[in-house]
Amino acid sequence: MADFGAKIPKKIGGLIASGRDQTFDRRTLYDYMDGGAEVYLAFDFREVFTRKYTDPGGREMTLDIYDMGSPEEAFGAFSCDREDPGAGIGQESEYGPGLLRFWQGRYFVTVTSSADDAAAAGAVLELGKEIVKILGLPGAKPDMVSFLPPDSLRPERTCYFHSVVNLNNRFFVASENILRLDRSTDCVFAEYAAGTDQSVQLLLIRYPDAGKASAARQSFLSSYLPEAGPDGLARTENKKWVLASVREKYLTVIFDAPSADAAKKIGESVKFPTK
Amino acid sequence: MNPPLTRRDFLRGTTVAVLGASLGFSQDKALTKTSRVILIRHRDVLDENSKVNPDILQGMLDEAVMKLLGEPDPVAAFRRLVKPGETVGIKTNVWSYLPTPPELEAAIKRRVIDAGVAPDEIGLDDHTVRTNPLFVTATSLINVRPIRTHYLAGMSGCIKNYIMFAESQPDYHPDSCADLGSLFKLPQVQGKTRLNVLCVLTPQFHGRGPHNFNRRYVWNYKGLIVGQDPVAVDTIGLRLIMAKRREVLGKAQELPPVPKHIQLADTRHGIGTSDINRIELIKLGWNEDILV
Repeated sequence: MADFGAKIPKKIGGLIASGRDQTFDRRTLYDYMDGGAEVYLAFDFREVFTRKYTDPGGREMTLDIYDMGSPEEAFGAFSCDREDPGAGIGQESEYGPGLLRFWQGRYFVTVTSSADDAAAAGAVLELGKEIVKILGLPGAKPDMVSFLPPDSLRPERTCYFHSVVNLNNRFFVASENILRLDRSTDCVFAEYAAGTDQSVQLLLIRYPDAGKASAARQSFLSSYLPEAGPDGLARTENKKWVLASVREKYLTVIFDAPSADAAKKIGESVKFPTK
Repeated sequence: MNPPLTRRDFLRGTTVAVLGASLGFSQDKALTKTSRVILIRHRDVLDENSKVNPDILQGMLDEAVMKLLGEPDPVAAFRRLVKPGETVGIKTNVWSYLPTPPELEAAIKRRVIDAGVAPDEIGLDDHTVRTNPLFVTATSLINVRPIRTHYLAGMSGCIKNYIMFAESQPDYHPDSCADLGSLFKLPQVQGKTRLNVLCVLTPQFHGRGPHNFNRRYVWNYKGLIVGQDPVAVDTIGLRLIMAKRREVLGKAQELPPVPKHIQLADTRHGIGTSDINRIELIKLGWNEDILV
């Protein structure tokens, strides 16, 4: 990332690069983030390049380019916390007042602005378009995204991660790590439309081996769904169904299905890889 | 060990109970004292551009501390907190997007001087408190910061504000920063905190990733939460954040994941109370959209 500083425009609209560019790696990321470095370290994060822009009126814009080590991990960092409409920048993006996020190849990028008017929006989007030019070729999403049943899937709500921190910020499950997630686990969380303003959630986790997947299922059932029988199925307080099932090293958890059959149908529709 | 808080507690509508009131079940209330917390708000403390009116803010701080300590004037109240001859460290917060307002720092410092502490014996610091000579020798601390959600800890409040006293900050990050309460037992800190001021002038109720600030998730609440018990102060702050999240994001996102450190500061580290039944919350001033 050392040459990024020379390639990225130093003037965007009325904003000028200020201060010195900085780069932080896995060891020094704590110096840059207030208590959030672990979120990136849970991915295969390598480095972040950061630059600030300011104008005479005190407006500030901050660029962060994260080298996540692979396209899969870059998609993961982008996909968590996604809430805004796409901006057509990079492989996938979102823009809302004061914040642009996108991914391209192995890079995840954020541009934040202290202002949220039209001029600020123009500068944020212009910088994003300039950045894409230097980030190289697109990359592939994690293989597990392709395992998801396509019917009624809300693709813009799909996210990929490894850590319980990401899971709980996306969909709070429990205050303890009852699914035993860590850097060795790969997780895809997806939403399926189920009527007006209703959705079914699918959490698919790949553990290092089948034994860990089974142990995690048991941990989940005992803490979250103690009334479930051997089939791992139970109706919860919102009158919807939760199902936890294991297939080899994969654990599938379905939340908020409208019926037991609907939960089973989604679970059975997961396109697990053949050996 | 308590069972984990789960999504099903939300579905049962027992989240707040799990986070606070139920803690009293295992404790003898006759033996535990109540923590007084003051929530004070003023409609005009911020102008239309969110600029702080320093005179109104000074008045809010004064009124809150007088009520907290039952004193008739602010100088007498602050003399209950600090004495002439002391060295006082004001632990502030300089996070660039949402720092402690300088007007609030100035209001606290002014009253510490009025109470008889020499100006050159008052320190104001954040990142270098561990090595700042004035904080190393401080006999009293005042803890002040704005409230915001935090990706790991759920909420950054008065308890988390002391993380800069730690030799290694990452050591406090595992398990949703569960053991932040132990910071108050560090030799440099233990027994020295006289006042906690949680600034809720412009709270941040949501964030997008661990290193994010966005004006969309900040609102002008125009208040201060003040108390001598940092756990009780943060407990009220958390209820405010949860109420705003419920209002804007919906009940499913009521809880910022996962602020367990507040409860554990009480049950594991014993530095204050998170039991809402043992918190005497006194509300002063502007009442509109108060949420808690």
